[in-house]
Amino acid sequence: MSAETASHAVTVLPKQKKDYAIISTAKRLVKNKVAIIGLFIIFIQILLAVFAPLFATHDPVKQNLSMAELGPLTEGHWLGTDNYGRDMWSRLVYGARISLFVGIGAVVLGLAGGITLGLLSGYYRRLDGIIMRIVDLLFAFPGILLAMLIIAILGTSLANVIIAISIWSIPTCARIVRGSVLSIKKQEYILAMKSLGASDMRIMIKHILPNCMAPIIVFATMRMATAILSTASLSFLGLGAQPPTPEWGAMISAGQDFMWTSPHMIIIPGIAIMCVVFAFNVVGDALRDALDPGMNLEN
Amino acid sequence: MNTVTTSRQVLYSIENVKKHYPIKGGIFKTVKSHVKAVDGITLDIFKGETLGVVGESGCGKSTLGRTILGLETATDGVMKFKGDDLSGKTPKQLKPYKREMQMIFQDPYASLNPKQRIGDALEEALIIHTDLEPAGRRSKVNQLLKEVGLKEEHYDRYPHEFSGGQRQRIGIARAISINPSFIVCDEPVSALDVSVQAQVIKLLKDLQEKHELTYMFVSHDLGVVRHLCDRVLVMYLGQMVELAPVAKLYENPTHPYTEALLSAIPRPVVGRKTERIRLQGDLPSPTDPPPGCAFHTRCPLATERCKMERPKWREIEDGHFIACHNK
Repeated sequence: MSAETASHAVTVLPKQKKDYAIISTAKRLVKNKVAIIGLFIIFIQILLAVFAPLFATHDPVKQNLSMAELGPLTEGHWLGTDNYGRDMWSRLVYGARISLFVGIGAVVLGLAGGITLGLLSGYYRRLDGIIMRIVDLLFAFPGILLAMLIIAILGTSLANVIIAISIWSIPTCARIVRGSVLSIKKQEYILAMKSLGASDMRIMIKHILPNCMAPIIVFATMRMATAILSTASLSFLGLGAQPPTPEWGAMISAGQDFMWTSPHMIIIPGIAIMCVVFAFNVVGDALRDALDPGMNLEN
Repeated sequence: MNTVTTSRQVLYSIENVKKHYPIKGGIFKTVKSHVKAVDGITLDIFKGETLGVVGESGCGKSTLGRTILGLETATDGVMKFKGDDLSGKTPKQLKPYKREMQMIFQDPYASLNPKQRIGDALEEALIIHTDLEPAGRRSKVNQLLKEVGLKEEHYDRYPHEFSGGQRQRIGIARAISINPSFIVCDEPVSALDVSVQAQVIKLLKDLQEKHELTYMFVSHDLGVVRHLCDRVLVMYLGQMVELAPVAKLYENPTHPYTEALLSAIPRPVVGRKTERIRLQGDLPSPTDPPPGCAFHTRCPLATERCKMERPKWREIEDGHFIACHNK
């Protein structure tokens, strides 16, 4: 059978030509100009957050009342100082660290909860009703109110802000994952794994979860923006970071009283929040396009 | 039943197996009715044979395959594998039996996890069912790849890098990876083009010989079934219509439904026109199958008796069974 031998000499592509999904996604992502700006801003934030002690020129919490309320571009304080004479730039740099930490913490916790609930409710139809009703319950609260409620119960601290924001992310994440699980569960390869005698756990973790990563990644990126913004909001309301922690929202809150005399106290952290939220949203959007299965078709 | 063939060893014996899917409706999701996908199948599958199961779309042939494998829970009936009753066993007790029974799927594009390398996919069954070391698993996977006509280098590849025929080979390798004795092939070649079909069928035959496999070959392609199978079961609306050795069935189809089905095969013989039997009407709904003989609504020979009484499953000659009042 000549066709038989032909199939043995099948198109063995050279190894370097191998097409990893992650590389092709990254390629499509960097084609998006706005996404590059977003990625750049995120990169800067990560850089500042990780190496905050190197970038900061002063101790972010050290007061120096003789240097209070200096405007930007003052010698020694290029972004000026606040009403206690603390260096704005140093506070901004350490603030990047806090907002990144809270954002990642809240998103990771939220994903852990949401993915677990989503997998369980999508896979086991019996749990679906119960879990989805709980999720509906969480949905019924406006997000920031829910976060405030949780903080009111747990007390004000940054750790509790993380918990509050992560709980707020759980319902959306659970819904997204459940939807993907429902469609993937019907695929024949899941049935194939069942016929091989794979346990439910193995099927869920090794076969369903990797195939619903795309929407989860997009959700996580977008959620970072929400988490950072909500942390700032909660801190602004006095429910998150407490003074003298250099949190961006708290900085705006503190700057309110000086907004006519020293507007830079609220403008600078405000711009920082805006840039970062914009960056994560834009990258999330671009990721969604890049991961779109419709565009994934190789030619 | 099957008294004549007692000399052959029965591998899998099923008795009056039914699979009904409830249809729920209304506010309280009460069960309104059932889709009778498989409605009372009694069958012995012999060791080493290839049993073809044919019928129209929706006649329950795939469901029968899945129910036999335990992928669907049978609504009713007794299933005995190598003499052991499988009903009422816990999933843990069933694990050794699952190892003996595997499935090859219709769609080679949907039956492989797109995010999993081929090597890992093949290794997975070995992880579940054997306690081989990673090195042992690797060499077993390499051996499997070669056995189905692929190469060791394919270990690191992802499914999208393969053609349909190659993917089907991977599916076959996965099915035989844990040395099963019984494989349900659910239309394994219907998604492939004809030249690849021939290769895959040849591979299935070779593997059967080498590993002493028993196949249940579900198909709507009567040509392939004739080529590959030893015995053929014809199904209609979840019920058995005719069961016979392949030569007898094709030479001498007895049930009117089988006759109609076989007359639909195109015959490449010049000047010999066989008359095509055209069935009237649509396939009745499996939710509400006709009383009596399920086929009576479309049967050219239907009588009053057919409308009232479900025909008995009887043997008309050696190993040739039929459910019809009039033959």
